[in-house]
Amino acid sequence: MIARILLSILLFAVMTYAGSAYRRSPVVGLASVLAAAGGLYFVWFPAHASALAELAGIGRGVDLIIYTWVVISLLMLLNLHLKLRAQMELITALAREMALSDVRLPVVPRA
Amino acid sequence: MMSAGQANTWVVISAYCEERVIAGVVAQVKQHGYQLVVVDDASTDRTGDVARAAGAVVLRHPINLGQGAGLQTGLTFAVAQGAEYVVTFDGDGQHHAHEIGKLIGALDEHHADFALGSRFLGTTVRFPTARRLLLKLATWFTRVTTGLQVTDTHNGLRAMTRRGAGAIALRQNRMAHASEILHQIAESGLKYVEVPVTIEYTAYSLSKGQTLGDALLILTDLFARRLQR
Repeated sequence: MIARILLSILLFAVMTYAGSAYRRSPVVGLASVLAAAGGLYFVWFPAHASALAELAGIGRGVDLIIYTWVVISLLMLLNLHLKLRAQMELITALAREMALSDVRLPVVPRA
Repeated sequence: MMSAGQANTWVVISAYCEERVIAGVVAQVKQHGYQLVVVDDASTDRTGDVARAAGAVVLRHPINLGQGAGLQTGLTFAVAQGAEYVVTFDGDGQHHAHEIGKLIGALDEHHADFALGSRFLGTTVRFPTARRLLLKLATWFTRVTTGLQVTDTHNGLRAMTRRGAGAIALRQNRMAHASEILHQIAESGLKYVEVPVTIEYTAYSLSKGQTLGDALLILTDLFARRLQR
């Protein structure tokens, strides 16, 4: 039971984080929320996980949960990448402003 | 004597560590009477100083951002200077400045907003087979994703009207900007034409060119951009 509660807290945290990522990237945000919700469901209904795992040819229900966790991790990684890109765009805008405010005219050779 | 068209045409070069060749490129462009801005992308050599001494206006990024970012900085600057036409030009010496006139002429003749240089309609000197195949693949990919029936997607020699330049807002800092420009041209609905141009590869320009690894990075950048709002 303790493991279930801990996993549930973690997955709730993932869902909250994924929800905040939705504004930046709806695709990644939605996929993360769905993956976390799926994980949460399987934590509390492991028998369904086993049935689904068998149907998908994965084998055990616990493997399905691990795979779900791997998918969530990859989505988080992608989200982090998008966050870095968004920050890079801000840095680019700043660097561009600096460059445009310091126009260096051609050097005119002395006669 | 300089014509009104040449005086209102700004050539934009994004340069990173081109100290060896930039003076020749600047001199070649200036010889044809065009206005020229070199965006020095935080080069670690004297690219900016050499370009200034050769007669270019120079803007310097405080940090290295990539060719796409440099071109956007140059486009913003040129439009602010009142440019009627803006031309993008590579800093490694593979383009010929006398062909800028052909591109501007095509804009006027076809009432287009973009004139895109094409090496596949024109000539390429010392064209490595691996690069030819890579560019053909990139062209096919761009045709599929943009719907534009272009023949050369990664040609840095392009001309655009002031209106065309206003429709371009590059967010791809690095090499994926070439595909991004085509996406934005397609989205803008503005008219484009392709113009045969000559690309002359040298050992120097080939050493700075794109590889298969770069092509994969470009695909990753384009994919990530699609996921962003």
